[in-house]
Amino acid sequence: MSDPLFPDGTCTQQHAVKNRYQTEIFNMAETHSLQDMRQQAAVAAKVFVQRDYTSGTMCQFQTKFPSELETKIDKQQFEETIRTLNNLYAEAEKLGSQSFIEGCLACLTAYTVFLCMETHYEKVLKKIAKYIQEQNDKIYAPRGLLLTDPIERGLRVIEITIYEDRSFTR
Amino acid sequence: MPGSSGKSGGRGPSSSPLPHAVVPPRRPLRPSRYVPVSAATFFLVGSTTLFFCFTCPWLSESFSVAVPIYNGVIFLFVLANFCMATFMDPGIFPRAEEDEDKEDDFRAPLYKTVEIRGIQVRMKWCSTCRFYRPPRCSHCSVCDNCVEEFDHHCPWVNNCIGRRNYRYFFLFLLSLTAHIMAVFGFGLLFILYHRQNIDHLHAIVTLVVMCVAGLFFIPVAGLTGFHVVLVARGRTTNEQVTGKFRGGVNPFTNGCWRNVSHILCSSQAPRYLGRKKCVQNVKVQPPFLRLQLTEAQLATKILDNGIQGDLHRSKSSLEMMESQSCDAEPPPPPKPELRYPGLSQRNMEECSLLGKAPPTPTMYKYRPSYSPGKNHTTLTHAYANQLSRGESVGSARESSSSSSSLLQASQQPGFRSQPSLDRRETSSDRVVGGLGGEKRDAGREAGGGGIPGYSLGGRSYPSFSDTTVLSGGASRSSSSTHTSAGTANVSEATTTSTSFKSLANQTPPPHHPSRNGSLSYDSLLAGGEDLDKGGVTGPVAPGPPSGRPCTPATHFLSQQREADIPSQSLHHHHRSSHHHHHPFLHRSSSSTSSSPPPPPERDCLLGEPHTAPHLPAANQTSASALPSSAPPPPHHSHHHHHHHSHHHHHHHSASSRPPRFAAPHVPPHHAYPYRTRSTDTPLGSSSSSTVRSPLSPHPPPLGKSLSYSSAAAAEMQYRLVRKASASAGANAAGVGGGESGVMGGGGAIQAAKFPR
Repeated sequence: MSDPLFPDGTCTQQHAVKNRYQTEIFNMAETHSLQDMRQQAAVAAKVFVQRDYTSGTMCQFQTKFPSELETKIDKQQFEETIRTLNNLYAEAEKLGSQSFIEGCLACLTAYTVFLCMETHYEKVLKKIAKYIQEQNDKIYAPRGLLLTDPIERGLRVIEITIYEDRSFTR
Repeated sequence: MPGSSGKSGGRGPSSSPLPHAVVPPRRPLRPSRYVPVSAATFFLVGSTTLFFCFTCPWLSESFSVAVPIYNGVIFLFVLANFCMATFMDPGIFPRAEEDEDKEDDFRAPLYKTVEIRGIQVRMKWCSTCRFYRPPRCSHCSVCDNCVEEFDHHCPWVNNCIGRRNYRYFFLFLLSLTAHIMAVFGFGLLFILYHRQNIDHLHAIVTLVVMCVAGLFFIPVAGLTGFHVVLVARGRTTNEQVTGKFRGGVNPFTNGCWRNVSHILCSSQAPRYLGRKKCVQNVKVQPPFLRLQLTEAQLATKILDNGIQGDLHRSKSSLEMMESQSCDAEPPPPPKPELRYPGLSQRNMEECSLLGKAPPTPTMYKYRPSYSPGKNHTTLTHAYANQLSRGESVGSARESSSSSSSLLQASQQPGFRSQPSLDRRETSSDRVVGGLGGEKRDAGREAGGGGIPGYSLGGRSYPSFSDTTVLSGGASRSSSSTHTSAGTANVSEATTTSTSFKSLANQTPPPHHPSRNGSLSYDSLLAGGEDLDKGGVTGPVAPGPPSGRPCTPATHFLSQQREADIPSQSLHHHHRSSHHHHHPFLHRSSSSTSSSPPPPPERDCLLGEPHTAPHLPAANQTSASALPSSAPPPPHHSHHHHHHHSHHHHHHHSASSRPPRFAAPHVPPHHAYPYRTRSTDTPLGSSSSSTVRSPLSPHPPPLGKSLSYSSAAAAEMQYRLVRKASASAGANAAGVGGGESGVMGGGGAIQAAKFPR
């Protein structure tokens, strides 16, 4: 059962919360009835998957499986996600013909083409955002995890939010 | 600060508002920042307009209409690249959110080591931005941002040059060189055909334009050549001038062709700031799927590149080895364990487990082969010391506080004092440092005592903030204390220098912002925080140098020493150039016996004229344009090439030029590597004084330099200028520096803003 009392994740010990939950449930009944539709589980922890710099400054993330996720998700699944992301980023940074043509065109038009056209990197970033959304929907959210697009952190880390499992069927 | 008004806002086009909740206070408006870029714009647009109006009509009639068209196209290209370089976000990292550094509390190290293609690279904790700076990232003090693949802060475009806009900056330089050559050439053609009526207005204007073009051509071409070499080598300006890869291996290079194509042909890197926040409509609601774990899964932890950082985070013992940057920084975040109780147990277990791990000899980057034996033993000895001390520190903060007070007492006055005092302080520092690993307090105090090395650096790896303390002492003591003291030095250096992020995360001193305004080229002035940047942490630095006089030093080490020498002598006189002293700490420690050899070496180093040494014809012109020595102005205008030519010439041993520069000229030249680019004598004094005032009593002669160099560097320069009685030289340097970017003014004001 989700904990509507601490939606921002500043929960303390579970048992304390449970006690408080029972005493305050009636007070909060009205306020959170409207939130039922939007209510989410409380944030239990955040794991940060760091960048893998072994091949230079190329954007790659470590495929090392974080220990905090051991009980949450299959290791293969996680590594598959990270590997796909790495491939997508490699594709974004690839020095291919498209990026070359883009560069030439930008030069010739005194860079005004950037006002109307999306760069190759941005296109791939959109693809990545879609992929992350899809992974979240299919795989991570059902397990109480949430991937955050690393671009929001400056491509430094992939933030995985672990949500509290308030289910009483332990 | 006289130069800065109290108004908020107006940070300049290069810094966009941050998207996250953590919004730092707006920095006060500093009109002095816009002087170089305005001058550059004025000269570029003004001269070119005069050229088009007075010279081109006759040229198009007499020769061909293609002449003004060609000039027009090139000028347009110059303007476009100038605008992109000026207005484009260089790759600023957004500040990390609070929850990201929850693990990085008091026990977290200041440095995290990562292996890149077999070379150990250090990532420093940025206390302003709250993350470990990625490789090649550096924090620009002028813009107060961490910039990806930081090249330098260019005052002529009033923007940092980083990953995203380096290409435009480079193309701007190339096109500007072509433009200047074209203007000068066609102007000359005009004059040659109008020798009879030279007093005609058109001819006079053309002559004036030719003079401006000729004046700016030398520094611009030199800078262009320098950057051509950098691109070919796959280095940034920051790495080049700090000598990170001198004698070592650059892990970021992929070969000349790939480097060039990466710069010019790669897709435009994305902006990190100001992005539309993608709202994920994902409902995360229990009940959640559970995973059935096997015993093996629970027990296995794969160690790979990534975990090094985590290990280091938890290993307080190892962190002691890290050099510290005693910046006075904002306070560390609250204990994160409280936030995530579920994880705290696990983290603590990991900490205790990992804390006992043996030290890894991977703390020193860019040193794939430093002389073993002595150094190695010193290293391991240092590690052993650190470990033993670390354990006590990890558990007993109270004891550390007492030693920290000792450190504080010794370091603070030492930090502020003149070099002579520093020497005295150093010995006491060493003793105290050896006592007990009170890194964090030491770092805090030292940082509080002076310029936080981190905050001033447009660089990634300052190691010591109390370099005045340590450098003065190190240089003197290291010569006397070789092996045996080497260990002591190592241990104490590391102790005093090690820092935790908590130190870095403390509140800056009140006058901290004023100092911020100065730095992007502080490292340049230092002439190489070679050891520093080279990732030589405390333990290593004293080790190798002590061995140096005795052993044929490795190429890398000897080169470091050479680079160190000129600036080293300068910095001994500096008390305020704290962050500059960082490199000098290493440098002086590394170049123990550098004092005897410096004069001849200095002459050799500076005797070489400076065109980017590997370049073809363009170099020749500038090389020949430089009479070996005499007139300070042209000399000064090239000093940055000088500086880099030092590095280049290390590798390529000789050029045929005789070491003509007298010793007194040496320091100023060395001190000017990038000063000319931004210095303008008459203009900058007010701005310089603003930044500098808290630090030194003497107003530097070249105020503009402070826009990108530390106040300490300015003071040093001032002293050198006085010594060399090169006030004219300084003026000339300022002019020369101004010229390089002035012609590139372009349509900064009128061009449309491009999305960054």
